[in-house]
Amino acid sequence: MRWGDRRDIEEERIDEILELIWTLRERGVSDLDQLLEETKGLEAKSILRTMIRDGLFEVEGNRVILKERGEEKAREIIRRHRLTERLLSEIFEISEEEVEQEACKLEHILSPGVTDSVCTFLGHPPTCIHGKPIPRGECCSKFKKEMKPLVIPLEELGLGEEGRIVFIAPRSHQRLDRLSALGIVPGSILRMHQKNPSYVLQIGETTLALDSEVVRDIYVKKV
Amino acid sequence: MMESCKKERRPKDSPEERIILIGNPNVGKSVIFNYLTGKYVTVSNYPGTTVEVATGAMAAHGKKYQVVDTPGINSLIPMSEDEKVTRDILLKEPFTHLVQVIDAKNLRRGLLISLQLLEMELPFLTLLNMWDEAKSRGIEINLQNLSKHLGMPVLRAVATRRKGLEKIHENLRDQAPAPFSISYPEAIEAGVSRIVSLLPESPLSGRSLALMLLSGDQSLAGWLHRNLPEEMISRIEAICRETQVHFIDPVGYLINQVRLRKVDEILSQVMKSAKGLPITFSVTLGNLMIHPFWGIPILLSILFLTYEFVGVFGAQISVDFLEETVFGEWLLPPVTEFFHRVLPIPFLQELLIGPYGVLTMALTYAIAIVLPIVGCFFLIFGLMEDSGYLPRLAVMTNEIFKKMGLNGKAVLPMVLGLGCDTMATMTTRILDTEKDRTIVTLLLALGVPCSAQLGVILGMFAGLPILYLLIWATLIAGIIVIVGYLAARILPGESSDFILEIPPLRIPQLSNIAVKTLARLEWYLKEAVPLFILGTLFLFTLHQTKTLTLLERAATPLIVHLLGLPVKATEAFIVGFLRRDYGAAGLFVLAKEGALDSRQVLVSLVTITLFIPCIAQFFMMIKERGWKKTFYIAAVVFPIAFGVGGILNILLRFLGL
Repeated sequence: MRWGDRRDIEEERIDEILELIWTLRERGVSDLDQLLEETKGLEAKSILRTMIRDGLFEVEGNRVILKERGEEKAREIIRRHRLTERLLSEIFEISEEEVEQEACKLEHILSPGVTDSVCTFLGHPPTCIHGKPIPRGECCSKFKKEMKPLVIPLEELGLGEEGRIVFIAPRSHQRLDRLSALGIVPGSILRMHQKNPSYVLQIGETTLALDSEVVRDIYVKKV
Repeated sequence: MMESCKKERRPKDSPEERIILIGNPNVGKSVIFNYLTGKYVTVSNYPGTTVEVATGAMAAHGKKYQVVDTPGINSLIPMSEDEKVTRDILLKEPFTHLVQVIDAKNLRRGLLISLQLLEMELPFLTLLNMWDEAKSRGIEINLQNLSKHLGMPVLRAVATRRKGLEKIHENLRDQAPAPFSISYPEAIEAGVSRIVSLLPESPLSGRSLALMLLSGDQSLAGWLHRNLPEEMISRIEAICRETQVHFIDPVGYLINQVRLRKVDEILSQVMKSAKGLPITFSVTLGNLMIHPFWGIPILLSILFLTYEFVGVFGAQISVDFLEETVFGEWLLPPVTEFFHRVLPIPFLQELLIGPYGVLTMALTYAIAIVLPIVGCFFLIFGLMEDSGYLPRLAVMTNEIFKKMGLNGKAVLPMVLGLGCDTMATMTTRILDTEKDRTIVTLLLALGVPCSAQLGVILGMFAGLPILYLLIWATLIAGIIVIVGYLAARILPGESSDFILEIPPLRIPQLSNIAVKTLARLEWYLKEAVPLFILGTLFLFTLHQTKTLTLLERAATPLIVHLLGLPVKATEAFIVGFLRRDYGAAGLFVLAKEGALDSRQVLVSLVTITLFIPCIAQFFMMIKERGWKKTFYIAAVVFPIAFGVGGILNILLRFLGL
């Protein structure tokens, strides 16, 4: 087990270095000195050697160049990291500091399938919360034809459009109960009738007027 | 509380069978109720609440029935006072028959209640009302099939055209339904069976009560405490907590989701609906009324018509006729004459027919001045309610009231306040939470001038440049918004969510409105008139004991130094508290005599508008909000009125206006 732990730690370090190469490149930096300066720890040199041996990147003079395998790996890590950031900050409303910590942990363990699900759930976002591009995945190209997010806040549903409720994140149980007695539960279909001066929604043959505060709790998928 | 509630509590006195009408809001229960009962109706508050429950008598096939119209509900797990009253009627009041009214267009929501009734093991008859509206929207419902699913008779009806209602009494059921159960997730079922074994006997099935308790129904607490020992209750609470641990979502929400799934399953087998609504005139008009642009001119013209009817026809033409002709010429002179002859004791004469007499002041005031205004208002209010404009009005005004921590529903008491603040304070009962009611009561006391006052105020501004009227209006409106905003943040308690159903626009049924208006006028006569009499007696005592003069002397420094008004204005302010229009009228006379310059007119009118309302409203506040809150409200209103008046006085002097 001990060996496995070491192996995992090494994997994580490799992931982090790949991530660093990628982000440095985004800033237009790809010289080895800069990379060495920003990788800390005693083992850094040996890990870099291992990475070169494994064919993840090569060094030409002072320039670091990702090889195909490294490029792909780095891309996936960056994608996982930035998608996680978005998920944590937008859906779970976690503070930026914590988001960074958690994203750094999750980027190593998300499986490709889960990553694509998160991406789809978020509506294939093009950028992370800091405005940097999120590398596209397979799921995105499938969805390329209509680049609309799958789940949107109800307030973004256009006039006259219909949406199926995906989830309701209310701030009080009482509100949840009141909504559910009116048939507003996940699975029900709503039609946006009007947004001003109050939100007016149609559910079946019932017309409801809601405050924007209540509408903000409801998330839908367009139908 | 009125007589009829007491009768409801003692059903043994009435040998006849009882029929209870139940259903969602706006499904036509009242129309059906009126059809069944005719004119023998009493509307009363359900004991301990402010919710109206109508009771009436009906005879059919030589049998006598008592019919009860319950408040509309969306769930039998109460989330509002209305829903609690309806659930309590089922839980506590003996009855023989139950009729559930469903809007055929909204079968889904109706069936959600039917399932809960089945779980309660109550026999009931289902009436699918508004069958014509459903049909015109391409909705087809298979009645036989639905009846088979529910194990209960299902009828169709168009209540407004009295179609299908004659079959109601043939189909009344009193035997319990066939066992019906929905299975919930395992952990919930386990909780249900553990709770059932602890519950006492009740008219509702143990299973349904257990589900209510698991749903976190707090409103059952009172009933539990009356029927179970403390130790059992804490065991039940423990079971509820243990059950909740299994789930992320609240258990009540999960239970409701399972029920909705069952409803959808039934719907898929009994209902077919064609897509595409035919756009009718009423749909278009209904949409225009809440349109962000067109809604505004419609709102303004409806408010204008309301003003014309209530403010001009009610408050001017009818009041003039009643006060001056009926009371002033026909009634009071012979009555005064009569008492002068029969009652030679001056004190009693003064009490009844003096300037502060019960007959000459209290009753004249309550019947000749307030009654026509309130009557007109109730009529308009009933029209708005039954046509479906009221919720649309709330949609239009929600944003404005949100700034004051209220929601669109508050527009109603505030508009009524322009007629009579005392009545408006009473109608704050229509608001959902105590916090909302307190804020509106405060704002009514502070800044909404009643029609009597408004008339005199406008009359006084008529002689001044329009700028003065604008300053007055902006100042009062600004203070209302600021005080509302602050009150909403300072007062503890929940503000209510704005979740409002908008029924389709309909042509109101006049008989229904007549019944409602009369019932409300009766309410006014019983609840508000005694307060006018009490206020007059108070004033009479002050007058007799000469305290009035003392008060005037005590208040003089405030009026003269702070507000910069002549000494004589003090009288207007004190009388103004006791009788609002007298106060403003006192200032009117002063202005006419030339004792007030334009600055003084503005300062005095701003102060008297913000000043505490009349004494009848003061008593109404005590009645509705209690001593403590009324005291706090007064403690807010007095400093604001004199503070704003004082600052305005200094500012105007400084600016040299």
